[in-house]
Amino acid sequence: MCGIVGFFDKSGGPAPVGAAVLAMLTALSCRGPDSAGIALWGAEADGVVVRVNPGDGADTEARRREIVRRVSRLGRVRVSAAQGSLLRLVVAKAEPAELALAIEAVAPDVEVVSMGRRLEIVKQVGAPRSLEAQFAVSKVAASHGLGHTRLSTESRVDLSHSQPFWAHGVPDLAIVHNGHITNYHRLRRLYEQQGVRFYTENDSEVIGVYLARKLRAGASLGEALRDSVSELDGSFSYLAATSDAFGFAKDPFCLKPLIVAETDGAVAVANEEIALAAGLPRGYQAREAGAGAVGLWDRPGGLT
Amino acid sequence: MKIVDCTSRSVREINEAIRRLVDGGEPEILVRNPGARHNLAVAILKDVAITIDGSAGYYAGGMSDGVRLTIQGSTGWGVAECMLSGTVVVDGNAGNGAAASIRGGTVVIRGEAAARAGIAMKGGLLVIGGDTGYMTGFMMQRGRIIVCGNAGPALADSMYEGIVFVGGEIAELGNDAVVSEASPEERAEIGATLARYGLKGPDSFRKVVSGRKLWNYDKKELDVWKAAF
Repeated sequence: MCGIVGFFDKSGGPAPVGAAVLAMLTALSCRGPDSAGIALWGAEADGVVVRVNPGDGADTEARRREIVRRVSRLGRVRVSAAQGSLLRLVVAKAEPAELALAIEAVAPDVEVVSMGRRLEIVKQVGAPRSLEAQFAVSKVAASHGLGHTRLSTESRVDLSHSQPFWAHGVPDLAIVHNGHITNYHRLRRLYEQQGVRFYTENDSEVIGVYLARKLRAGASLGEALRDSVSELDGSFSYLAATSDAFGFAKDPFCLKPLIVAETDGAVAVANEEIALAAGLPRGYQAREAGAGAVGLWDRPGGLT
Repeated sequence: MKIVDCTSRSVREINEAIRRLVDGGEPEILVRNPGARHNLAVAILKDVAITIDGSAGYYAGGMSDGVRLTIQGSTGWGVAECMLSGTVVVDGNAGNGAAASIRGGTVVIRGEAAARAGIAMKGGLLVIGGDTGYMTGFMMQRGRIIVCGNAGPALADSMYEGIVFVGGEIAELGNDAVVSEASPEERAEIGATLARYGLKGPDSFRKVVSGRKLWNYDKKELDVWKAAF
């Protein structure tokens, strides 16, 4: 198992989406206590916001200083602070790929967890309830968000293997996945031959890589989600979002649960309705997404 | 009518409270604030009216024998799973595997049913007021399914016996599923069943049954088997 949740506020925010996603994810805690995380698309930052895993057991402060020293050569560092298990930086202006390379060159276990103008990912080892203590997620206003609580089946339990996964290389694109991608090894070999770096041994990571490549080739998120239904193999319900689009895809055999509710003001998606009840006022209509179904909500005008 | 409030209670405590009332001979029970939690009102073995005042999670009313359960919301996976007799009515939509493996009784989904509704049914009746998803009636062995709306792909795949009636469009038939028209007697029976639950279906229904080609292995029909697997 694993639990995934998503919440999209149709007004474009800022809305109390952090609180909604946290409540939904906490309601799904029983689907996996190993690690938990939340991705939120908040107001546009004055620069690039980067969340960094400083490495297991490393001297966080020393790593922070070294990262700031290197990043300062690329752009002015407006903010750099440790928060919970992660470092948070706001860099005035920088090319995303260069920025990630500079940060990850500090040490092999340093990893950029998220990057974007709106996207921020927070994650940790352990059940969802401690996300609030570490990151004060419920205070975050956003237009949409994703959450994940993990029951690990194949790969190790650590911060790096926790979800949501940022799609490395594409700012503001992130995913959460419940299920098992059975053509993971084949796709990974193929992508690695083409120079893609994989950060984990978690099969879900390949979804982000897959979508990133589709988007870079010019596809919309909706097109990429639709293609993935036949090009990814296995059992999956996954959610993906960019700054201005939010969607889901479900495998053609309908092997993993995904319940969707849309109201006048919001869209809430989760494995179980128990999470929808925690995120939406009563009166919504819940329905299970069909085999091979794709859903997409976007806002062409972007956030206001 | 006695009330069981789910707030601040574990599922075990909720079900114990329901069962105490059932054992005490209470004829009517209202379950309040269900919050879409799993395994509500399972294994009720008496003729008793239970109403769940909202949505339920997985396996609501499962393993029951005689219960008359109304769910005033949606349900997750496996509503009424393995029921022997009784009635389970869902006012909203149902998740995957509604009425899985039931041996008897009636399950009514007023809204839509998701994938594999009526999987491995061994008797009983499943009525779906709206559309139904992928692989409805998969490996069904006995009983009836009435779908008022459209049916998704792989309808009645690999069924042994039983009948699926579909009022709307069939996206795709499953392996070894065969279509004919419902007879006037069958249509009258469907109409009476729908009327009993205040549902309205179309005038005509198609009848889907097993072609029985998968009953026995025949080397000459290897292609049929390959497709089924």
